[in-house]
Amino acid sequence: MVVLMRHALTVLVLAGLLLAQTAENRKPDRVVTINAERFAFSPSKITVKQGQLVEFVLVSDDTDHGFRIAGAGIDVAIPPQGRGEAKVRFIAREKGRFVFECSRACGAGHNLMRGYIEVK
Amino acid sequence: MGQLDPTFRRPDPSMALADRVRALEQRMEQLLPAPVETAAAAAPPPEPPAPAAGLQPVSITGDFQRADNGETRLPVAGYMDLHFNKERGDSFRPDFHRFVLLFGHSFSDRIKFWSEFELEHSLVEGGEPSGEIALEQAYLDILVKPYLNFRAGMLLAPVGIVNERHEPPSFNGVERPFVETTIIPTTWRELGAGLTGDLGRGFRYRAYLTSSLDASRFSGEFGISEGRSRGFEASMRNPATMGRLEFAGIRRLTLGGSFYTGHAGFNTPGVNPRISIAEADGRYSIRRFDIRGLFAHTWITRTQDLNRLLTLQTGVNPNVARQLRGYYVEPAFHLLPRRFGKDIIAFTRYERFNTQHRMAPGYLALPHFDRSAWVAGLTYKPTPDVALKFDYVFNRSRSTVLRPVDGINLGLGWWF
Repeated sequence: MVVLMRHALTVLVLAGLLLAQTAENRKPDRVVTINAERFAFSPSKITVKQGQLVEFVLVSDDTDHGFRIAGAGIDVAIPPQGRGEAKVRFIAREKGRFVFECSRACGAGHNLMRGYIEVK
Repeated sequence: MGQLDPTFRRPDPSMALADRVRALEQRMEQLLPAPVETAAAAAPPPEPPAPAAGLQPVSITGDFQRADNGETRLPVAGYMDLHFNKERGDSFRPDFHRFVLLFGHSFSDRIKFWSEFELEHSLVEGGEPSGEIALEQAYLDILVKPYLNFRAGMLLAPVGIVNERHEPPSFNGVERPFVETTIIPTTWRELGAGLTGDLGRGFRYRAYLTSSLDASRFSGEFGISEGRSRGFEASMRNPATMGRLEFAGIRRLTLGGSFYTGHAGFNTPGVNPRISIAEADGRYSIRRFDIRGLFAHTWITRTQDLNRLLTLQTGVNPNVARQLRGYYVEPAFHLLPRRFGKDIIAFTRYERFNTQHRMAPGYLALPHFDRSAWVAGLTYKPTPDVALKFDYVFNRSRSTVLRPVDGINLGLGWWF
């Protein structure tokens, strides 16, 4: 019985790893380039379909900004202009509206540097 | 194991198997680490924030850095601006023009605080002509919906380009444009409250009710710019209305329009002029070419009465105009390809600004307030947040008597 349970657990772990690996490696269903510039993301409203694997390519047109999706455990720094880009992948599991915002102080209008993802 | 533990003794082979197992168990208990109770007494590790069920993070790659919690809580940021100004016939005058610290705090995902604290000209001394310490902005944002948020406190007027985007690396030229210092005051801030939001498709807005301008400080030379209250002895008797609608739906293109309207007579008894400003601006970048431009027009009512009253009060006729107008255009070119990681921007700016565009009957416009300027220079950015600036300013006016002098400016500004 114990041996059976061990085998079942191993299979489950392997399946989980395989799924995660697949999501990381497979081609995203949707790629969106988001430009960050004091004090706005462009585009600031992004619509995706439920179940899609989405990749955001985050590029700054001036200083370094942050990109945080409230409550989703995603918070990265976008490098300044000319210093590369950050890529964030996630799976849109549920329908709804999810706010993202700049998480690095970037100037006078920082608080309003926000946007949202609409999962339909 | 025997080699590692000198106290270890192999159990006597003559012992019964059960006794030998018991002896080994006892020995194992002695060697095992702390009992479970001790581990349980220690503080449990902090649980990672539960991800929103709707979005499942998969990976973060690229030239990123993970923003730690400290950065998310908005610590101190700031900018500095060091100038060396020289007018023709004069020597270079160094001036640590601005030392600005910005503080913010997120009370929650919906309630956020932001502030900007400034020391100008590096020194403030009681009773002496020197710099100033000023609260440039301090407000609370209550974020409700993307299209509807509340803001209250000391607010930057959302008029023009530079008033809200004044970090030194974000504009060319050592000094801010003349139009955005004379026709539109800068840094223009007022006490008030209002709404902000993103309407979608690249449109966003700000609309505020604020304290009013003070007409007793208007003048012919500087227009309304000295009339901003800066939050000190401000009046809300006749709150002013200001707003801005902006379109940023196309990458690297921003178009904006702003307005201001309000009475300004709380310090001029019996005369309560209305000030109205209409402004339009745009910024666009394509490949290595940038262009920005702005047009602003100001109307002031009852300037005849205002001039008469201020002449009686001060003995000097301020010669305040009933209309002011200004505009500028600034093309710029990035000399280095993007792959260099550094940037050299060559720019030129033409400005035309007249603080006496139209006068009240009986008052004469002075030609030396009908001014124009060509500003040509270079901005070197070793990183996007540090700007070493140089420019030459050709000042002109309509006056044939009072000739404005040209100037050279050097500046070093940085944002952190």
